[in-house]
Amino acid sequence: MRRPELFHGKPVIAFDTEDSRRNFLRGAALIGVGGTLAITRAGDRFALAQDASQNDLDILNYALTLEYLEAAFYTRALENNVVEGRELELVTPIRDHEQAHVAAVSGTISDLGGEPVERPRFRFPDGVLDNRDAFLETASVFEELGVTAYQGQVTNIENGDILAAAAAIAGVESRHAAIIAQISGGNPFPAPMEATATMDEVLEAAMQFIRS
Amino acid sequence: MRRRDFVKGAATVIPGSVALQMLGTKWAFAQSADFGNDIDVLNYALTLEYLEAEFYRQGNEAGLLDGQEAEYLQQVGADESAHVDGITQTINQLGGMPVEAPGVDFGGAFDSRATYLETAFTFENLGVSAYLGAAGFIKQPAILQAAAGIFGVEARHAAVIGNLLGKPAENGVYMGVTETPLSKDEVLAAAQPFLTGAAGMGDDAAVTR
Repeated sequence: MRRPELFHGKPVIAFDTEDSRRNFLRGAALIGVGGTLAITRAGDRFALAQDASQNDLDILNYALTLEYLEAAFYTRALENNVVEGRELELVTPIRDHEQAHVAAVSGTISDLGGEPVERPRFRFPDGVLDNRDAFLETASVFEELGVTAYQGQVTNIENGDILAAAAAIAGVESRHAAIIAQISGGNPFPAPMEATATMDEVLEAAMQFIRS
Repeated sequence: MRRRDFVKGAATVIPGSVALQMLGTKWAFAQSADFGNDIDVLNYALTLEYLEAEFYRQGNEAGLLDGQEAEYLQQVGADESAHVDGITQTINQLGGMPVEAPGVDFGGAFDSRATYLETAFTFENLGVSAYLGAAGFIKQPAILQAAAGIFGVEARHAAVIGNLLGKPAENGVYMGVTETPLSKDEVLAAAQPFLTGAAGMGDDAAVTR
C-alpha cells in the first residue's frame, strides 16, 4: 500500500491516557492472530449485534480513532474557511459525515458493552488547516487511509451487523476520497478495486504521529 | 471541550441505541433466501457488471463527452470491464458457471451528455446499494473482500459522476452518512427496463442457473 508521509513526521495525535493509547495500539497485536480468527459469518451474520467479541470491539475502537482524526481535521479546517464555493459545498458534508461516524461508532461500542477509546488530542501543522492546497492534500491522505483501513477489516469482523455498518461507512469514505481527488486534481479512480491495509500497516503509518 | 463532554455531546447527535438500531436493520431484508450460495451472489453481481460495462462501451463510443469528463468515463468503463473479468474468473475458479451477458437496451441514454451521465449516475448508485445488499450472503472471506473492494469503487464512480452533473453535495454526490443496501428484488426492478431477451433478469434464470 501507499505509505503516506503525513505532516513530515510531526506528531498529530496525542492520547489523554496511556490506556487510551494502548486501546488503539492493541490492534497491532491482532495482526499476529488474524489467520486464526474464527469467522462464523454464515451462521450469525443476521443476528443482532449483542454478542460482540473483544476482537470486534477492538476494530470498532480502531475505526473510532481514525474517525476522530478525520472529524477534528475537517471541523477545524472549515472553521478557518479553508475552501469556498462548490468546494465548500462538497467538503461540508464530509465533515458532517465524519462527526456522525464518530457518534455512531462510539455509541455502538457503548451499546455493545465496550469502552469507547478516548478522543485523542490532535496537532495539525501550520498550513493544512488554512491553506487550500495543503488541506486537500492532507484530506486525500486521510480519506485514502480510511478507505484502506475499513477495507482491511472486512474479513476480520466477526459480527454481521458490525460488518454491515463498517461496509456502509466504508462506501461513504470511498465517495469522500474520490471527490477530494476530483477537486484537487488527483485520480479519483486509482484501481478497479479498493486496496486494503492491515491494522498493522495503518498503525505503522499513524504511529509516527502518536505521542503517548 | 473536555473529552467526556465531547463523547457525550457527540452521542446525543445519534444516540448509541439509535445508531445500533440503524446498523441492526442493515441486513434485515436479507432474511429471505435471495441467494443460495456465493456463486449465486457472484452471478448476480456479474449481470450488473455486464450491464454497466456495455453501457459505458456504448456511451463512450457515442462521443458525448470531452476532456477530463471523457477521461473519467473511460476510467469508469475500464473499471466495470475489469469487474466483469474478475468476477467471471472467480466463478470459474469456484467451479461455477458464469451467466452470459444479458441483452441490453439503453433507450435514449445516449441522446446527450446529460442523459448519459444521468443514467450512469443511476447505475452507479444502484451498484453501490446492490453490493451492500448482497454482501451479507457471502460466506467466503476472499469473495467478501473482493465484493467490498468493488463496492467502494462503485461508490467512487457514483460520487464523481454526481459531481460532474452538479448534483447537490448531499443526496447527490453523497448519499448520506452511510450507504444504503437494496435487496435483489429492488435492484432487479430498477435494472429491468434496460434488460432484454432471454438473458434478462425477468426471472431468476440469470442469477440461479
